[in-house]
Amino acid sequence: MRIVIAEDAAVIRAGLTEILTDRGHEIVAAVGDAEALKDAVTAYQPDVAIVDVRMPPSHTDEGLRAAIAIRRDHPGVGILVFSQYIETRYAADLLAGRSGGVGYLLKDRVANVAEFTDAITRIAAGGTALDPEVVSGLLSASRHASTLGALTTREQDVLALMAEGRSNSAIADRIFVSERAVEKHISNIFTKLALPPSDSDHRRVLAVLAYLGT
Amino acid sequence: MDDNQNMTEPAASPAWGAPFAKRAWAELRYALVTLPLSIAAVVFIVPMLYNGILWAASADGVWKLGAASRSLARKLLGEDVPASPRPRSTAGHKVRTKDGARLETVVKEAGGTARVWEGQPGVTVRRLPPSRIAELAAAAGITIDEMQPRNAWLNWMDGRATDRVTWRARAYFGLKLPLAVVGLVVAAVCWLGGLYYLTAPVWWSLGLHSTLGFRITTLGFAFGLCPLGVALLATGPGLLHGVTNVDCWLIRSLLGPSSPAERIRALKESRASVVEDAAARLRSIERDLHDGAQAQLVALSMKLGLARDKLQDDGQVDLARVTGLVEDAHRGILEAIIDLRTLARGIHPPVLDQGLADALATLATRSAVPVELVTDIPERPSDAIETMAYFSAAELLTNVAKHSGARHATLEAVHVPGLLRVRVTDDGLGGARQVPGGGLCGLADRVRAVDGRVDIDSPRGGPTTVTVELPSRA
Repeated sequence: MRIVIAEDAAVIRAGLTEILTDRGHEIVAAVGDAEALKDAVTAYQPDVAIVDVRMPPSHTDEGLRAAIAIRRDHPGVGILVFSQYIETRYAADLLAGRSGGVGYLLKDRVANVAEFTDAITRIAAGGTALDPEVVSGLLSASRHASTLGALTTREQDVLALMAEGRSNSAIADRIFVSERAVEKHISNIFTKLALPPSDSDHRRVLAVLAYLGT
Repeated sequence: MDDNQNMTEPAASPAWGAPFAKRAWAELRYALVTLPLSIAAVVFIVPMLYNGILWAASADGVWKLGAASRSLARKLLGEDVPASPRPRSTAGHKVRTKDGARLETVVKEAGGTARVWEGQPGVTVRRLPPSRIAELAAAAGITIDEMQPRNAWLNWMDGRATDRVTWRARAYFGLKLPLAVVGLVVAAVCWLGGLYYLTAPVWWSLGLHSTLGFRITTLGFAFGLCPLGVALLATGPGLLHGVTNVDCWLIRSLLGPSSPAERIRALKESRASVVEDAAARLRSIERDLHDGAQAQLVALSMKLGLARDKLQDDGQVDLARVTGLVEDAHRGILEAIIDLRTLARGIHPPVLDQGLADALATLATRSAVPVELVTDIPERPSDAIETMAYFSAAELLTNVAKHSGARHATLEAVHVPGLLRVRVTDDGLGGARQVPGGGLCGLADRVRAVDGRVDIDSPRGGPTTVTVELPSRA
């Protein structure tokens, strides 16, 4: 995959480049601020852009704003927002409108290299990768808290994993049940939340996120 | 001699010693030094009374003259008058709203001033911060369509031209000049005249028969003048003390923050600056953590994650690569530790627990410019004051290293009951001054918040002396 990295801390930029190159990806540009990021995305049309939220000059949320602009202007470019803090509002901004091809992860997640590169692959393929913290933030901030309360604990776990963007088989591996059982849970969740049934992983995530976000 | 004179000054030594008592000398010195200052002040102030623009332009100068007078009174007479608040810009906001008249009423009730616009719906509100205006409007159910700060220049003009502290200082110098002249006359007549009459026989024998109002005809007459000389010398200190007392009273009532309202204003200002300062400090600590240790640790986790994956690879393990990653990670850890240590020391230096003298010694050895350290702290001030003194010294030494071009600096810290004085002197370029938003200004704000003060003496070409005075207890 062709990847653009926007991150102002040189050590992290170097680390990401090392990991991703090691996994056979091509880093077409590694930049330190939002303007350079937008230029690099326009110039290289990468598969994925990895974007730090806080970058110069104001060190607040310029990375996030650039990410939203890129999603608008370059729909084909997957975006992974990458931050040391999770802000649920940022997640909501990022997911607003078109979902898919987007991710929001804590920087710590990179320690698990395999999962991290898996998340990037998912995003490049038009899927989602949300940090468990983002999901729990969305769940607790959701206006449908009472409906969510009607889910069993197991169903809530499945819902959270689903919102993170995982496939049925990944969920099955995570909670040590068969894929059939996962499918059963999911259909229960959709019934309880009164969501329209859907087959593909991606549409399913969209439905869940739309539900959580509204 | 004249006991009455001594009764006005109970602390003075016996009459014969009075002209030579320490206090009398100090007051004499004060009378001589303040006369030129008063003349200079009046020469500066009077032409500036012409119009409002000049009032505003001269306000900071007048404040500084007042500060110089307070400082002289403190140094020579021990008359400690708290500083009056500096002239400030008045906060002015243009508020667009349909309820102009009602907003005017609530603003006035809250102690601000307001003027409803003519021709269009809105109000100009002065002397209230925007948050307070919004709060008042919300409480009264007034919708604010738009609020904008007024032209900064107008705020500056308005604040300085109408600053009551400055006008009181102008009044002080108006009264001080005649008083200084009286003081000088008393000093001249009593000390010089007294000495002349006391030594009249000497002058007579030298052939000087006619001076200072008397025609000296005989040696006997000359000796007869001696007691007059003695009397003048003895009354001088008392008279001058009276003049000085009047001056001190004027300084207290016109150059200090006399009214409780002004004292409250000064306190509010210092509180606001402390709160802002604390918030800024926390922000900068967060930034340092985020960009420093936290980033280091994330990078570290990547290296170790990659190394672990390499070790778990099926087939041949690339040992050289893994070793490289672990070595990188190790280096990263050391950097993160240093980062954290520096940051922790910036929050509270552990050595400060051993006392200010030890902490300052460590600080002095860390300075880029060689520092000579003089400390005399027999009794420890309170924790907050020690911390403030430490960070003041750290900031001043950093300034020396960064800006002064000095080759040598001295750091002094002396604690006498009630007062901790920290002084940094350097042999650099000089020209250090307080600019709004600058480091020295921030330092002065923090120090003022505990009723301390900062004195900067930094002529162009150097040397620079910055003195921070803090009360023993915050």
